[in-house]
Amino acid sequence: MTWQSFFDLSTMGHRHIVAVYAGIWLLQGSYLAWIITQFRATKKKP
Amino acid sequence: MQNIEETPHERPKSFLRTPAFRAVIWLYLAATLAVLAVGFRQAIFLVPTEETMGNVQRVFYYHLPHAILGLIFPYLNLAGSLAFLYWRRRDPLKALSADAFAVAAAEVTVLYVAITLASGMLWAKPVWGIWWAWDARLTTELLLLLLYLSYLLLRRFSPTGQIGALGAVLSIFAAVNVPIIYMSIQWWRTQHPAPVFGPNGGGIDPSLVPAVLWNLAGWALWGFFILGFRFALERRRQLAEQEAAFHAIESSLEIPPTSWKLSQ
Repeated sequence: MTWQSFFDLSTMGHRHIVAVYAGIWLLQGSYLAWIITQFRATKKKP
Repeated sequence: MQNIEETPHERPKSFLRTPAFRAVIWLYLAATLAVLAVGFRQAIFLVPTEETMGNVQRVFYYHLPHAILGLIFPYLNLAGSLAFLYWRRRDPLKALSADAFAVAAAEVTVLYVAITLASGMLWAKPVWGIWWAWDARLTTELLLLLLYLSYLLLRRFSPTGQIGALGAVLSIFAAVNVPIIYMSIQWWRTQHPAPVFGPNGGGIDPSLVPAVLWNLAGWALWGFFILGFRFALERRRQLAEQEAAFHAIESSLEIPPTSWKLSQ
């Protein structure tokens, strides 16, 4: 598989591979970003 | 030299606040991202295409690590909950730490189990022709997600003072589901494939193993990183709450004595 075929969205299978790989990075990254935001916000409290 | 009397609430600087510890954390994160990058390259570009399913089988390399880790984090939640129950009368400060660890593990469990279910559905549709089946493995995995969601909701809406104990008791019941999920594909042979690894596993082609191991290692390192960070956040929240309670008590003691005379 190459980058070109990875982003080839012509079939359902290919679309789902991209959805899984991108979606997992997005979810995990969003959760980490939420933790960082909350961590910084809590520091400001008395 | 610092005058301690002027800053009575300032804590001594622990190792966790030193630059050396921060450097270790950054190194750990860099190593985790490097392992995940190698895992991605293995899974997408290096391992050969599987004969029966074609390229969509590559979902497996992200689905499997999340599924395995989604069955490990509930036991960390259980360990934290049991430690909380043990310490809550003996050592309340240790119990608070155990409770923070339990809630961190529960949240990471929800994340990993939700990803397992979603990636499994995205894999199932092109391969089985259906998004979902009320198969034993899928149903018990969904139950695990619902149990840990209810654990987090229970904590969110419980009365203050009982949150830890109620959550800890629920986590003991939730953890019972984990071995049932693990054994489900051996006890009930339905839609989900038979085990690949383990004593009764069918095994996979050796050329596919590096992608499995790199991604398992990468997502495990990532999972423990966010678990540690979430634990640190929960501890910080607990300390902020303690500090706020302390200030409330302190300010209530500063009421001038004249008000006592007036009420009498």
